[in-house]
Formats: sequence, structure tokens, C-alpha cells
Amino acid sequence: MELLDKLTILADAAKYDVACTSSGVNRAAVNGKLGSTTSAGICHTFSADGRCITLLKVLMSNACSYDCTYCVNRRSNDVPRATFTPRELAELTIGFYRRNYIEGLFLSSGVLRNPDYTTEQMCEAIRLLRDDYGFNGYIHAKAIPGTSEQLLTRLGVLVDRMSLNIELPSETSLRLLAPDKSGQSVLAPMRFVRDGIKENIQDKTTSIVKRARFAPAGQSTQMIVGASPESDFQILNLSASLYRTLELKRVFFSAYLPVNTDPLLPLVTKAPLLREHRLYQADWLMRFYHFDVNEIIDESNPFLDPLIDPKCNWALNHIDLFPAEINRVPYEMLLRIPGIGVKGAGRIVKARRERSLRFEDLKRLNVSTKRARYFITCNGSFAEGVLFDPASIYDNLADEARSRHCKGVLDGQLSLFEESAPVGLMSASAADSSAQRRELVPWIN
Amino acid sequence: MDKLSSNPLLTDARLTCLYDGSFEGLLSAVFWAFEHKEDPCDIAVETNLQYSLDQLFLPIDTDVEKAERVKAGIIRSLGYQAYKDVRCVFLSDDERKGRVILRFLQYSLKRGAGSRSDLAEPKIADFDDVLRKVNREIHYQLQFIRFSRLQNGVFFAKIHPKANVVPLIMGHFVARLNVQPFMIFDENHALTGVYDCKRWWLVAADTVSVPDATAEQDDYQALWQTFYDTIAIEERSNPTCRRNFMPKRFWGDLCEMVPQELRKSRPQTATPTACARLVGGQSRKSLRSPLN
Repeated sequence: MELLDKLTILADAAKYDVACTSSGVNRAAVNGKLGSTTSAGICHTFSADGRCITLLKVLMSNACSYDCTYCVNRRSNDVPRATFTPRELAELTIGFYRRNYIEGLFLSSGVLRNPDYTTEQMCEAIRLLRDDYGFNGYIHAKAIPGTSEQLLTRLGVLVDRMSLNIELPSETSLRLLAPDKSGQSVLAPMRFVRDGIKENIQDKTTSIVKRARFAPAGQSTQMIVGASPESDFQILNLSASLYRTLELKRVFFSAYLPVNTDPLLPLVTKAPLLREHRLYQADWLMRFYHFDVNEIIDESNPFLDPLIDPKCNWALNHIDLFPAEINRVPYEMLLRIPGIGVKGAGRIVKARRERSLRFEDLKRLNVSTKRARYFITCNGSFAEGVLFDPASIYDNLADEARSRHCKGVLDGQLSLFEESAPVGLMSASAADSSAQRRELVPWIN
Repeated sequence: MDKLSSNPLLTDARLTCLYDGSFEGLLSAVFWAFEHKEDPCDIAVETNLQYSLDQLFLPIDTDVEKAERVKAGIIRSLGYQAYKDVRCVFLSDDERKGRVILRFLQYSLKRGAGSRSDLAEPKIADFDDVLRKVNREIHYQLQFIRFSRLQNGVFFAKIHPKANVVPLIMGHFVARLNVQPFMIFDENHALTGVYDCKRWWLVAADTVSVPDATAEQDDYQALWQTFYDTIAIEERSNPTCRRNFMPKRFWGDLCEMVPQELRKSRPQTATPTACARLVGGQSRKSLRSPLN
């Protein structure tokens, strides 16, 4: 098989993996070697779906011996199979990197024969890159559940980031849809990776030798949203506990797209993209805006509002804390104003030391007041035309979302609501979130 | 010399200082304005003028020594970062850059380093605005530069940026590519950055003649185009989002954006996703690559 055809098969088979980021580690260039990394990451192109391409995202092999119902590479699918040799993959990566097409490699794989054999093949490709080709760029490897700890260690010191896919938001769903995996087979290696990363933080003596560091850019995971009946409440609580207990850098969400037909899978015609978007917004609030998961979502309203973002939702639920006076409220409160981001809040704090700010000054600071205007005052006065009333603010904000997401489609509003709740597997017991919560706890802790 | 603006014949005239287009020339004009306590309404490049009746033009000679004094003054009272920012703004294509730099220096040299955080002051805000645009252009180039391997072993890239960013991006690529000689040719600003694995330098020239690309280059380009097409998820198609992140003005220099009918080779195989979606009765053999 030609390399071009192999790449077609193995890139297509990898495209549902979402964690295509090259961030988290700053590694200066080394004389005589190819490559460097920057902690913010660099996106090198954007595909037709608007997602960034920063790494060469491929599978080592899609000849998988597992049979996960949602996965295009499941054993029982009649699809073309291909496997890279380690050298083919290393040369491809270097060829792309030299031309500034990519920031590095994102290597995952179907389970070829067994987890250990698969990981050995991946290790060999990455070792070739690091040793034979002197590659100093970014490498993200997906660990295969069930791999032995020795092999995980070998992989960990070769790469920048490691990740394991938790796949689905609850163990029940995992058991149902991915019969070859179990909660423990995913969580045990995640704990192992966490401990490996912790060690190189504590062990200051060996960290000087950069290559011996274990996954310096940390660990991430991803889960499919909408293939199983879990609520946003469950999903966000799960990711909060993943950040807390497993010290992950990122939790990625992937809107469920039907590739296979299987009686166990829900019947969806459209990917729940808006739901995925809202989950990411909530995730950002937890990681950069000091929000606790309980402030974003509660059991009585287990789904995020599709019409307004979670920060607006929080602000409307805590309207007694507003309006916020731009010239006076502390930084932490600035961060909680809808429409004001981390950079904007920083600029406000800096600029208001020099002079008191008016609405036109905010424009000069590059702070958008499109949403913020409803929640702030400058020197005691509201922006022109703002009626400080929760119901009318909600309407204004929701109108914006309606026109943005529906582009004038008449039944758009309805379809928004349909997207927000998963169809198919949704059952009465699924709505009982306290039962779900009980299930969450033993899975993670 | 008397103050120009005190001449009764010139009271209504708006004074524009002219410089030769070099950074030292611009700083010399700034020096002149400070030295003579003048407040010119603009500092412009000689060759790039918009004449109007009420305008008075004053060419300023470039004086490296005076430029050095301005540089030292900026570093002393505002810090090295501020000097780097001024250089960055100078490399912008924005026609306001001369007066933006002058106003910024007039305002902040008087008040010291603290004034740098007075972000709501229009003179500072305009400066930061131009600066932000140059920095954005730098980042775009780190993202979207595409090298081709030439037959002499050099990797070559042609770019069309909105600011004269080659001097600002060479450091990144020199450090990163390190063992690989390369050239970046900015056709808009007629400037080429050259690196030979030991040191790098700039060459000013309208055109660059280079050998043809290698056959291997065509292969990698085809592989990259295939990867680019394959990795997109059809159901999530979002052209607006793509355009926001990757504006169309870059597409001409991006090999993955070459339309499929103009490409040299295409894969023969069907993708796994296409096969998995086949409905009963259809044979996998009937599927060709979606790219064909």
C-alpha cells in the first residue's frame, strides 16, 4: 500500500480525537537538533470544520481488536485497515515539521494485537524521532488502556503530553458501549501517569536532564458527549473531579457523531455542537475564572441553557451582586462579569490605576461591552439604553444567540432545544441526577 | 532657528516631518521635534506623500548619533521592552505609524515608565493598537509559513504579510529549524531573511531567483494536502470559523488550500468513515476515495 493511502486511512481513523493542542510546555531549541515548543502552542492550519490543526494527528494502526460500538475502527466494521511502520511515521513527521506544516506528532492507535504490542510500536516510532532524527518538537501520545507500567514509563519519558480517553461520562455507559474497556482499565493508567508527572516535579535533581522528564506538558483526556444519557451536570462534575483528583491539564469534549449503526447507540441526526460549545464554556470558567462547578450547574437544572452562556447564566442568577462598578470592584469580580475575559480584566485593573474609566475608555482597552454592558456601571452610571432587569437582559442576550446560531431559520429555536438534550437512550432514570451522582463518586475516587 | 510654528506666515500650516524610511531616520525626526520643541502633525516617509495645500513639509536628515540618543532615552526612561515595542510599530504597514510613535513618545517620555499602563489614554491606546496588529501578523506568519525544499537543499518560503515582519520572525525559525538552511522571502516588502545553519541576515531585493523544488517536495505536499482534507469532519463543516482563524489573504501561500482539481496526485483508497457509513447491499469495492 502506498504511503499516501495509508495516511488517508490512518488520518481519517484519527479525526474524531479532539485534543489537537501543542501547549503546556516551553522547550527552547537545542543546538544541532530540529525543533522547539512554545507553551501557548501554534496552530498551523484550520480544516474545513474550523478546528485547528497543530499536530500530525494519526493512528499507528486502525487494525483494532476491540469492538467499541461508537468507534469507526471497531473490529466488526468492514473498513480498510492500515498500519504505519515506525520509520514511515517518523519520516513523515520530520518531513512535515521541516516545512512548518505542524508543531509535532499526535499519535494514537487502535489496539494492534494487544495493548503492550501496540505501545511498543508507538514507542519505537517516537524513539526513532527523538534519537535518530534528533526531533525536539512536541509529541502527544495516547496511552492504550491495559498497557503495562514499564511500557507506560518508557512512553512517558519520550513524549510531552500523555492522554487516556475516558470515552464516556459514566462507567455504566462505558460498560455498555465499550465492552472491552472498564473504568478501572482507564483510570488506573491515568493515576499512574499523574504520579509519574508528580515525581518529576518533586525530583528536582533529574529534571535538569529534560529528556528524562515524564510527560512535562501534563495529561489530558476526552469524552464523547451525546452518545449516552448523562446530563451536563454529571459531565461537568466528572471533569471537575478529574481536574481535582487526577490533576489533568485539559478535559476535551467530543460531540457524538453517528458513524456506526448499532442498536445500543442513540439515533441522532445532528451532532450536539451547541451543547459541546456550552460545555467548553463551562470548562473555561472552571479553569481560568475561578468558578466552582456548583456555581455553574446544579441538580435541579442539569442541562446548560442553550440560549445564554454559563457565565451570563450565573450572573443572572446572582443579579444582586450586580451592577459591578468597573472602577472599584476587585479583579476576581471583574472576571465574573459576562463578556470580560482574563486579558480584559487585567487591562482594566492596569488602566484604572491611572484614571477613572468611562464606557468609551473600555473600547480603547479593547474590552468588548456587548454582553458586559448589562452588568456594569462606569462611575455609577449604566451604559446608554440599558435596562437593569434580569428578564429583559435575558431576552436581549438570548436574541443574540438565536440570530447567531440559527441564522434566521424559522424553527431554529426549537432545534436548539432538541440539541441540548440527548435523544435515544434518554430514559427516566437518566434524569434522576442524584442516582447518577452516586455513581460518579466511586468511579473517580 | 526660530520655531517654525511662530512664523506668522505659517501659523495655519500643518507641519509634516519627512524621513528616508529607515528606523534611524524616524528617530532622527523625533529628535528634531524634541530639540526644537515642535509639534509636527505627522512624520512620514519621503516617497509616500499625500500633498495638501495647508501642509508644510520639512525633510529631516538621518543622523545615526541622534537616533542612538533617542533609543538610549527610551530605554532609560521606559525600559527595553518599550524600545522593542517602538521598533515593532515602526515595522507596521499602518500609515499612521510615524505620528503614532511620535505621540506615544511625547506623552510617555515626559511621564516615565508608569505611563505605559495608562491604557485609556488615546496616545497610548493608538500605539498599542498598531503594536497589537504587528504582533498578530508575527503570529500569523509563525502559523502559516510553508517551506518548500529546493534542489540545492535550502528550504524556501514566500510570504505576503501586512507588516514588515521578516526581521521579527527569523529568530523563531533559526532556533527551531536550527540544522536546516532556509530563506523567507517577503514579496510585499521586498525583503528576504537567509539562514545558512551558522548565522542569519537580511537581503533587500524585489525578486529572488531560486532553483526548482525537489521531487520529494511534491510528495510531501501531496501527503499534506491529503492529510488536510481527510482530517476535517464533514458534519461539522464551518467555513466561517475557518476564515476567522485563517483569513483568506493567506490562502494563496498555503499549499493545502490549492483546489483539488489543480493538485498533482490524489489517494486511491476510500476512508474508513466512508466505508462504515455504507448501507447494506453496497459493496466496499464500489467506493473510491472521496477526493476523487
